[in-house]
Amino acid sequence: MAATRDSALTRAFDNDWIGPGLVSLIAVVAISLAQPAFLSSFNIFVLMSAISVNMVIALGQLVIIGLGQMNLALGSIGGLVAISFAGVIERYGVPVPLALAFALGIGIAAGMSGGYIIARTMISAFIITLAGLQIFKGINLGITEAQPFYGVPEAVKAFGQASVIGPLPWLMVPMMVCSVAMWYLFNRMRIGRHILAMGSNPQAAELSGIDPKATIIWAHGISGLLAAIAGLMLVARLQIGQPTIGDDWLISSFAAPVIGGAVLTGGRVSVAGTFFGVVIIAIITQGLVMFNIDPFVVQIVLGALILWAVAVNRLREVRIARVQARGAGA
Amino acid sequence: MAHAGADRPIPPGSAPRRMSSGMRLLLGNEFGLAVLILLTVAIFALTLDGFTSPFSIYTIGRQIGIDTMIGLAMMAVIVTGGLDLSVGAIGVCSAMFFGWLMQVMGVPVLVAVPLAVLFGAGLGFVNGFTVVMSGVHSFIITLASMSIFFGVMIFLTRAAAFNGLPPQVQAFGKMRVLQGISPLLLIAVAVCAALVVFYRYSTLGRQMLAAGANARAAELSGIRTGRVIVACHMLTGLLAAIAGLMVTARTGAAVPSMAGQLGQDWLLPAFLAPVLGGTLLSGGRVSVIGTLLGATFINIMTSGLLLMRVGEFWILAFLGVMLLIAVLADRTRQIFLTSRGMI
Repeated sequence: MAATRDSALTRAFDNDWIGPGLVSLIAVVAISLAQPAFLSSFNIFVLMSAISVNMVIALGQLVIIGLGQMNLALGSIGGLVAISFAGVIERYGVPVPLALAFALGIGIAAGMSGGYIIARTMISAFIITLAGLQIFKGINLGITEAQPFYGVPEAVKAFGQASVIGPLPWLMVPMMVCSVAMWYLFNRMRIGRHILAMGSNPQAAELSGIDPKATIIWAHGISGLLAAIAGLMLVARLQIGQPTIGDDWLISSFAAPVIGGAVLTGGRVSVAGTFFGVVIIAIITQGLVMFNIDPFVVQIVLGALILWAVAVNRLREVRIARVQARGAGA
Repeated sequence: MAHAGADRPIPPGSAPRRMSSGMRLLLGNEFGLAVLILLTVAIFALTLDGFTSPFSIYTIGRQIGIDTMIGLAMMAVIVTGGLDLSVGAIGVCSAMFFGWLMQVMGVPVLVAVPLAVLFGAGLGFVNGFTVVMSGVHSFIITLASMSIFFGVMIFLTRAAAFNGLPPQVQAFGKMRVLQGISPLLLIAVAVCAALVVFYRYSTLGRQMLAAGANARAAELSGIRTGRVIVACHMLTGLLAAIAGLMVTARTGAAVPSMAGQLGQDWLLPAFLAPVLGGTLLSGGRVSVIGTLLGATFINIMTSGLLLMRVGEFWILAFLGVMLLIAVLADRTRQIFLTSRGMI
C-alpha cells in the first residue's frame, strides 16, 4: 500500500517538467518550420539571453513559492541592486569586484530584512513584501531621480553581449550555476527540505523540529540574492543601470514556476519545470515579435498561460489524490 | 473573529469580557487614526506655509476621495480573506470603456457613467466566478486577470488616450462645492455611508462578513459562500470602476497609463487605506470609516511632506514604511487586547 502511494507520487513528481518540456519542444519546431529565421544564430542568442535572466528571476520567486508565500518585492530588490551597482561605480569609482559584493549584499540584506519581519510577526508575506516593494522602489527612484547610471565598465558590458560558443551567451553561465545550485538546495540540502516542509505543512514541520523563523529568513535571503543576480545580469545586458529594472518581473516571475508545476500553496516546486516555463514564455514572446503580432498581445498571452497552467495543475492534483485514495484503499 | 467587527453590533455573550461602547471606541483603529489626523493637521497647519490654503485643501480633499474609493474596492474583497491584484486594471479598463462610450459611440455622460460602473462589476464577476469555480486562491487568478484585462485594453486602444471627452466630465472634476470641496470627495463619503448601511443591515453584506469570518460555519448556516464571494468581487469591480471614473474626471481624459503598468500603482493605496483603518487581511472584519480615515491620513502626510520639499520619490518609500508601521501597530494592538482578554 505504501509502495503504491510512493511510486504514484514520485512518478507524478518526476513528471512535473515533462508537460512544459514537450510544449516548449513543439513550440520550437512549429515556429521554426513556419519561420526559419527563428533558428538564426542571432535570434537564438537573443532568446537565450532573455531565458537566462528570466530563469534567475523565476528561481527567486520559486524559493518563496516553495515556502507557500509570495515575494512581491522581488523586482524592486533587483532594481535597487542594479542601480546601486552601477551607481557606486559611476559616482565613487569602486572596482567591479567590490561593487559586485556590495550589490549582492544589498540583495541579501533586503530579502532577509523582509523575511525577518515576516518570521517575527507572522504577518502575511504578501503585505510585508508589498511594503518592501514600495520602499525599495522609492529608495531607487529617490537616489536616481528616475535617470539611469551610464558609467557601466566595459568588462561588465562585454559580459552581457559576448557569447561563450556560437550563439550561446555568457549570461547563460550564472543562470546555469543558479539553477544547479537551486536544484541541489531543494533536493540535497537541509535548508531546501525545510523550506518545502514548511510549505506543505507548517505545523507538522515545526513539530518535527524545523525552526520556522530561520527557514523563512533564509528563504527570503536566497530570494533576495537571486533577485540581485538577475538585476546585475540585466545591467550587463542593457549596458546601463536602468531604474526601471524589475518593474515588469511580477507576472512572469509567477507565471514560469506555475507553468512548471509549482503549487502556490507551497511544498512543491520543480527547477526543471520552471526552466521550461521560462522557455515557453520566451518562445511565445519572441514568436509574437517574429510574426509581427502586436507586442501588447504578450500581456494577454501571459495571463492566459497562468490560468491554463493553474487549471492543468489543479487537474493533476485531483488525479494524484484519486490515485492516492485508491492506493490507500487497496 | 466574528465579534470583532466594528461596523456591526456585537452578539451578546460572544466576547470574553464585554466592553463598554466607549472603551471600544477608544481602542478602535478609527479613533486612533482620527486623533493622529487631527495632530498632523495641527502641526502642518502651524508649521507649513500654504498647507491651509484653499487650493491645497481642495486638492487634498479630491485625492482623498479617489484613494478612499480605491481602498474601499480592495476592502470589499479582503472581507472574505481574498484579494484582488487587478483593481488597478479594472479601474483603468472601466475608465477607458467610459471614454470610448462617449468619444467614439457618442453616448451621453449620464448614460455612460452607469454603463462603465456596470462594466467594472462585470470584470469583477469574471474574477469572482473564476476564483470560485477553480478553487484557486484569488491572488493567482487576479494576477492572471490583471495581465489579461490590461493587455486587452492596451491592445484595443493602441495605448492611446481618449482626450475628446464631453466638457462636463472635466468640469465635474474641477467643480468646487461650497468654495473648497471637490464633488469627488462627496461621492466617496456618500459611497462610504452606503457601504456602512450595506454591511450592517443588508442580508448580503452580513453574509459577506460571515463568510469571511468563518467560511465553513457560514456554509453550514445556509449561506451559499460561492455566490457571496462572487458578489464580493463584483462589488470590488464596481468600486474600482467608480475610482477609475473619478481619476478620469480629475484629468479630463481617459488615459491608459493612469494607474501605471498593469494598474500596479493602485496596489499600495488599495491596501494601505484599509489596513490603516483596521480591516483585517484574514477577512471577517471591515472598517469603512477606517478606510476613509486611512486615505485621509495618507494624503495629509503626503502633501505635508511635499510642502516640506521631500522629493516625491522618497514619499513612495515613506508610504511603504507607513504600511509596515500600520500592520505592525495592528499586530501589537491585537496581542495587547488578547492578553487583556478584551477581544
